Amino acid sequence: MARTLAMFTDTSLCIGCRACQVACKQWNELPMEQPEWTGGYQNQSHFTDKTYRLVRFIEKPQANGQLQWLLMSDVCKHCAQAGCLDACPTGAIYRTEYGTVNINQDVCNGCRYCVSSCPFGVVAYNHDTGRANKCTFCNDRIHNGLGPACAKTCPTESIQFGFRDELVPKAEKRLAKLKEMGYAGAQLYGADTNGPLGGLNAFFLLLDQPTTYHLPEKPLLPQRNVLVDSLLSVGSALLVGVGAVLAFRERGGKEGGDGHR
Amino acid sequence: MTTNLIDIQHSDVIMATSNFAENHPVGFQWVMKAKERGAKFIHVDPRFTRTSSVADLHVPLRSGTNIAFFGGLINYAIQNNLYFKDYVTHYTNASFLIDPAFKTATDGGGLFTGLEQTGKGGGDPHLAQTYKRDSWKYQLDGEGNPKRDLTLKDPHTVFQLLKRHYSRYTPEMVERVCGIPKEKFVQAAKLYCENSGPEKTGTITYALNLTQHTNGVQNIRSLCMLQILLGNIGRPGGGVVALRGHANVQGATDLELLYHELPGYLPMPLRDAHPDYKTYLEKVTPKGGFWVNLPKFSVSLLKAFYGDAATKDNEFGYQWLPKRASADAYSHQHMFVDMYKGVIKGFLADGQNPAVGGPNAKLARAAMGKLEWLVVKDIFITETAEFWKAPGTNAKDIKTEVFFLPAAPAAEKDGSLTNTMRLIQWHERAVKPPGDVTSDAEFFVSLAKRLQKMYAGSKKERDKGFLAASFDYGSDPKEPNMELVLKEINGFATEDITDKDGKVVYKKGQALNTFAHMTDDGKTAGGCWIYTGVTVEGPDGKLINKANARKPADDKDYLAHGWGFAWPANRRILYNRASADLKGKPWSEKKKLIWWDPEAPGNEPDKKGKWVGLDVPDFNAFLAPDAKNGDKPFIMRADLVGAFFGPLNDGPFPEHYEPIESPTKNLLSKQQNNPVAKIWQGLDDKNAIAPVGSPDFPYVITTYRLTEHHLSGVMSRQLPMLAELFHSHFAEISHELAAELGIQNGEKITVLSPRGKVHVTAMVTHRLKPFMIDGKKVHQIGVPWHWGYNGTPGLPGSKGDITNDLSATVADPTVYIQETKAFVCNVKKGVV
Amino acid sequence: MDIVKTPDWHLLIVWYFFIGGIAGGAYFTAAIADNYGGVRDRSVVRIGYTLALLLIGLCGVLLILDLGTPSRFLNMLGHFKFWNPMSIGAWMLGVFGAFAFVSSALAWFGSEQSAGLRRKVSLIGTIFGFFLASYTGVLLSGSAQPFWSEARLMGALFLASGASTGMAAISLLLFLSGETSGEGFRKVKRSDRVAILLELVILAVFLGLLGSAAAPITQGAFAPLFWGGLIAGGLVLPLLLDFFGHRVKALGGLAAVLVLVGGFILRYVIVMARA
Ligand SMILES: Nc1nc2c(c(=O)[nH]1)N[C@H]1C(S)=C(S)[C@@H](COP(=O)(O)OP(=O)(O)OC[C@H]3O[C@@H](n4cnc5c(=O)[nH]c(N)nc54)[C@H](O)[C@@H]3O)O[C@H]1N2
Ligand SMILES: Nc1nc2c(c(=O)[nH]1)N[C@H]1C(S)=C(S)[C@@H](COP(=O)(O)OP(=O)(O)OC[C@H]3O[C@@H](n4cnc5c(=O)[nH]c(N)nc54)[C@H](O)[C@@H]3O)O[C@H]1N2
Ligand code: SF4
Ligand code: SF4
Ligand code: SF4
Ligand code: SF4
Ligand code: SF4
Ligand SMILES: [Mo]
Repeated sequence: MARTLAMFTDTSLCIGCRACQVACKQWNELPMEQPEWTGGYQNQSHFTDKTYRLVRFIEKPQANGQLQWLLMSDVCKHCAQAGCLDACPTGAIYRTEYGTVNINQDVCNGCRYCVSSCPFGVVAYNHDTGRANKCTFCNDRIHNGLGPACAKTCPTESIQFGFRDELVPKAEKRLAKLKEMGYAGAQLYGADTNGPLGGLNAFFLLLDQPTTYHLPEKPLLPQRNVLVDSLLSVGSALLVGVGAVLAFRERGGKEGGDGHR
Repeated sequence: MTTNLIDIQHSDVIMATSNFAENHPVGFQWVMKAKERGAKFIHVDPRFTRTSSVADLHVPLRSGTNIAFFGGLINYAIQNNLYFKDYVTHYTNASFLIDPAFKTATDGGGLFTGLEQTGKGGGDPHLAQTYKRDSWKYQLDGEGNPKRDLTLKDPHTVFQLLKRHYSRYTPEMVERVCGIPKEKFVQAAKLYCENSGPEKTGTITYALNLTQHTNGVQNIRSLCMLQILLGNIGRPGGGVVALRGHANVQGATDLELLYHELPGYLPMPLRDAHPDYKTYLEKVTPKGGFWVNLPKFSVSLLKAFYGDAATKDNEFGYQWLPKRASADAYSHQHMFVDMYKGVIKGFLADGQNPAVGGPNAKLARAAMGKLEWLVVKDIFITETAEFWKAPGTNAKDIKTEVFFLPAAPAAEKDGSLTNTMRLIQWHERAVKPPGDVTSDAEFFVSLAKRLQKMYAGSKKERDKGFLAASFDYGSDPKEPNMELVLKEINGFATEDITDKDGKVVYKKGQALNTFAHMTDDGKTAGGCWIYTGVTVEGPDGKLINKANARKPADDKDYLAHGWGFAWPANRRILYNRASADLKGKPWSEKKKLIWWDPEAPGNEPDKKGKWVGLDVPDFNAFLAPDAKNGDKPFIMRADLVGAFFGPLNDGPFPEHYEPIESPTKNLLSKQQNNPVAKIWQGLDDKNAIAPVGSPDFPYVITTYRLTEHHLSGVMSRQLPMLAELFHSHFAEISHELAAELGIQNGEKITVLSPRGKVHVTAMVTHRLKPFMIDGKKVHQIGVPWHWGYNGTPGLPGSKGDITNDLSATVADPTVYIQETKAFVCNVKKGVV
Repeated sequence: MDIVKTPDWHLLIVWYFFIGGIAGGAYFTAAIADNYGGVRDRSVVRIGYTLALLLIGLCGVLLILDLGTPSRFLNMLGHFKFWNPMSIGAWMLGVFGAFAFVSSALAWFGSEQSAGLRRKVSLIGTIFGFFLASYTGVLLSGSAQPFWSEARLMGALFLASGASTGMAAISLLLFLSGETSGEGFRKVKRSDRVAILLELVILAVFLGLLGSAAAPITQGAFAPLFWGGLIAGGLVLPLLLDFFGHRVKALGGLAAVLVLVGGFILRYVIVMARA
């Protein structure tokens, strides 16, 4: 397994220009889609099968009367423990040697289980192809020595691309700097490999609570429930079983045998 | 711009007054770099934009009150002794004495000495008056040099007049006029002024936010004055950053696709004032400063135009030049008014979409409907090319014959773009244009050659110059070789040029290395003197295209002199002599740029001393600080110093006047608007103007851009990837106004002005807030202007009403720019 | 606006969940009857096995319809994840199908000698039957949808419901074929009561654990269906009918219908509330 690649999206540097969103569409040749009225500049409320990078615009009036306009370029997190990957029954979703998570369109059968298994609501079902789509981490580019199109385009280096073990210290330095500049709410999201989902290979620097950015406070691996529910199912199986056995049992077997005696 | 985007990273404070992040996102990376270094960032804009979102301080001001704001800053800096005393005393005209007869607007009720009724004006009250400038001049000593008082105490010094003029611009006044709470203004003033001086520098950026007003030029002057007051010009991390428009609008300006100037900022001759070349040169050549060389540049230009046909005996073809009938203007708006009035009968729109982008677009479309013919050369079918399809027009009523010629975009042709920082960068063709598509250069050269054929042998005076003009750029008869075009612009020797001992320094046809080698005897030709040096002859005799140089910045050369070529002479920071003190030493180690090295070998074997440093000196490299004028950095000005006192059509100092359409009367003086602004009359109902404080149009409206779209939208609305980024054409309105009108976010509204109306989606946002103007609540709305009646099929939101149907045909008196940043409107719920 | 996306599964999936439940339930009922019941339960055994076989075939068809093309179903067999309900589910569909086939074949055509074999086979097959009835629930517990996963009881709930609907289906068929006189009908009913009670208990715990997270079905558009159609009409009413009206066969038949409808409604509201 090659050294893990990562994308670090530093929202404190984002100017919401959406060059990343367009570059993604262009490189991946994603077709046009109807924009949604979100009340502001954002053109889709969430990821779609045609939007893998989504720039979020969040207006947040402060207590002190000042206004905060939080800008964030959201993307698939390429989780170390990926709900989508574990959910996929066909093996279409796989982990590349770079640690990124990708969907093999030829194998995907459109069961949509991954769609409901991503804690971030990233994967989307494509009704035209009947398959699931999401950010590929520019799989074709990274396998040809290029960085992701979105990172490449970003004019302010708000999206940085590189080896995870190099990006994380960079991110920590940046966080420290912001803290000392007085950004109290600044925090890293998904940088820590001991954190939720074993860390996110696309991690973020946020200026506010994750939920403000439409991110789960503490994402959990959905598959954690499978074992418990399975055991409980066995339990209820035994109960109905006993019930039925009692119902059907031939009392004392006094009534005429059915031939096998 | 006086500086260079890369240099912004060294600013200690940056004040963006335009929407930097949204409209110049790539250049904005340097602001982010500066911020990472701990620089403070202030954004001045009526709206809270993506630029504000990364600013330390957002200062909202009512559109059209910029001079009140900058005047307030100037006053604050003077009152609190925050200005750069030595710089101001020696590098500006602050110490110069002005004619005692001159009175500032403070003593003239908002007017300067000399406003006169001219009688003419055709019903335009503004045209009926102009300034007589007799008293707007320096007091001269015996030798005819300006008198100075280096103590700046004399009441007639520019400094004292400046102080007096802006004494009314107090924080309280700024609050009343601009609607900026006093505390916020003072906070901004402290932050900016205290971060300038010997140890620190500040940068101010502007664009249309200042230009598109009936006092646009004065807006810009006011910020320039603040910058010289704080010593922020010619120094690292300081400067006036004009963030320009189209990728090559700087190039278009340098080559002067304008009515009042010839390439290289040479004045356009006037028919009556400049009957012959000698008179022209005498009248337009300043007595001092670098411009004394104007004749050399002018003659070289005529040689570039007319080649061998231009000789001493025929005034180098001066008579062939078209001349302006009078000082009258032929600006964009003049043109469309004349079209509408039937004066202009044909129009070639080459890469322009006035049906959407022009101010008062309704008038523009009506005007085109009166043409005999219209040619549109564009890379898309524009609204202009289909102006008869505009909603509400009946094609049957339109007699104009329209031709469309497909044009090749940048990727399909070689050429150069000059970007906002005077940087000339070359691009090579990526693909050949398809079918009949031609590049603009190919089109114009072949058109010219055909016409020359048609008119060959014509004896008419008016055809001579045209027939004499040379259009040969290489062997290919169709396609001009763009590097030869560049060479003509750069300049070359028209015959062998020898030095005093007969040694050949330039052979015939050799590219010139510097405009310093241009002569006024016809031995040199050059299409735009400031570009000289962009392409020079290498040792092998081949042309080296410096616009194509691609050596990025490094620690030795942070200004990246090896990347492209910046005019003039690859200087990256203009007036950089000002980065050193009178003695030629940097004002501070931290802010050093160029300095005088007394030990460096001089220009002659026995001489020593030279200006050296991190940039190419924008100064005579061998002129010692103690030599005559060795301490005067502003070499392009006749008096060699920065100008606080700078006569323009509307005054020597910027004074606040309200926009032509305003919800309030002028609180600074009884003079409501710019006394000499231009308002076109006789346009039927097409240019109705709302009276001051009109109840029918109570709100301020400003129009602007979005990162996702490009100008009139032709290049973005038809590109699905871009067109889908916004749901539909919209107007940004505050929650307060929405509440007053019962408007929900996302519902359709109608925006009306005295000229027209548009239907858009209401975007209710916290990013706009009403202003308190003199105690009264004034609402402002914002409407982007990228939409028109063409768009991407299948994306209804990519089409929309034309914002410019709302704007008016009014102009600033110096460059005649429109007032599309501040006028008035009404807003109605629903589609009415 | 939720963070997590819905898979937009629709009616085909609801039917698949429902039918799969019945198939599993019916087979298991038949197996119990086969192993513990008497000769008069034979009809139960035959109907149970056969019903399972037919329905499992229908399940396959439903899945393929949802995926679009048959080949897409095979994609799931190209791959096996033991911790992934959907992956095993796909395999189990096949395995259980095989059991249902063998059991029905033996039940109809098997000789007396083969009866022992049939019973042993059915005991093993029951395990897969249970799996088929419950895995669709576990699959929901394994998703990121809080409403589906947080209680971790979907599997248990679907199993109880599957068993009960399976029994209801058998009793309904007995009723329709007039075989209500026999012991079988009564026994099936009796065991169905246990299943229904269990389902009610699990539902109570389920709602308790979820609290507000259960809103998608306890409130809003699906609430009437859930409370009226499932709880009242599909569970409580059939129980009462069975207690008080078990003398009247017709009521027994009606109860079976209600249980089946209830079973469908359960899957319907749970899936569609997140579609
Ligand atoms: N993405 C993109 N980039 C572009 C363009 C584009 O169309 N799209 N156009 C290019 C061109 S041609 C040009 S000229 C430049 C223009 O660059 P900008 O001048 O930045 O463009 P605008 O958005 O027209 O105006 C900038 C801001 O001025 C504010 N404003 C309005 N009135 C006032 C005022 O009185 N004072 C102050 N301080 N602010 C005011 C508006 O709210 C607006 O946010 O952009 C260039 N760059
Ligand atoms: N209300 C309001 N009005 C405004 C402004 C505002 O801020 N508010 N801004 C003003 C400003 S600053 C400007 S610059 C103008 C811009 O107004 P316009 O210049 O009229 O608008 P553009 O859309 O840039 O038009 C440029 C055209 O050139 C075409 N084109 C691109 N490349 C080439 C080429 O290589 N060759 C040829 N032949 N054509 C090409 C494009 O397709 C496009 O149709 O709008 C002005 N109008
Ligand atoms: S973010 Fe969602 S889609 Fe992306 S890897 Fe994680 S689980 Fe999969
Ligand atoms: S939809 Fe495709 S990618 Fe998603 S889980 Fe099913 S097979 Fe895997
Ligand atoms: S990595 Fe590639 S696919 Fe993913 S968001 Fe960026 S550009 Fe799109
Ligand atoms: S390109 Fe960079 S700055 Fe622009 S929106 Fe994307 S992340 Fe933000
Ligand atoms: S559009 Fe071109 S010129 Fe404008 S910011 Fe982007 S790169 Fe620069
Ligand atoms: Mo512009």
